[in-house]
Amino acid sequence: MNDLELIEKAKNGDNKALTELVKRYEQTVYNFAFKICRDKERAEHTMQETFLSMIKSLHQFSGNSKFSTWLYTIVSNHCLMLARSQKVRGFTSLEDDDGIIEEKNVADWKITPDKVTENNELKKILDDAIKKLPYDYRIVFMLRDIEGFSTEETGKMTNLSIPAVKSRLHRARAFLRNELNAAFQE
Amino acid sequence: MQHSKNKKNKITCKEVMHHLCETLGEDLESPKCVEIKDHLDNCENCRNYFKTIESTIQFYKQYNVQLPEESHNKLLDFLGLKEDEDE
Repeated sequence: MNDLELIEKAKNGDNKALTELVKRYEQTVYNFAFKICRDKERAEHTMQETFLSMIKSLHQFSGNSKFSTWLYTIVSNHCLMLARSQKVRGFTSLEDDDGIIEEKNVADWKITPDKVTENNELKKILDDAIKKLPYDYRIVFMLRDIEGFSTEETGKMTNLSIPAVKSRLHRARAFLRNELNAAFQE
Repeated sequence: MQHSKNKKNKITCKEVMHHLCETLGEDLESPKCVEIKDHLDNCENCRNYFKTIESTIQFYKQYNVQLPEESHNKLLDFLGLKEDEDE
């Protein structure tokens, strides 16, 4: 059964269809929430709130966009709300580009992205770097570069203009690259 | 990502730049993108910079987590759904 068929059944009170829909997307939502929060408890909480919102507003889903796109919009909003509610501070300011782009003596890295999930030291470096980024930058980076949504789709999902998406993406990439570069040189 | 100064490496750098232009929503044949690609052909520094940007993206792409069984159970419980409703 495809997503739209499940959604129609779920809208009509079919809990079996609703359960199937949740099970189909729980891994995706949890993984994305973790990539933003970098914390398993927060990812679990965000996933729960995301599916609760999904159930409450399922009747509003028109089918004009892909269901997964709609779900990414919801989980992105919940990640932002959680960050605001916890008043997370200490992010790096990325208001200007000064110092982001290096100009001299840039070397390629010897370390490769293979088997990241088996390397706890590397995972910590990746977590520590992204935790310094403001949440709106993390979300744009993840939606655009990691999940592969277009600039336009990312803008709609995050309620940002296309220039704002491009700016955040450029700065997030450069910042993360420089953080990893510094860690790999140590 | 391998790094060398041979001709093959230039192609890889162009591919990297192609990716960057494409993902930023730029027209790959726009004067700006063509200029950047030309520059990369002649600048090892910039090639390395863009290669490490590409690696950064790949690192975060590779870093995924599995939903724990306990979190799955808590989710269904939280939503008032039952596992056997799926069967």
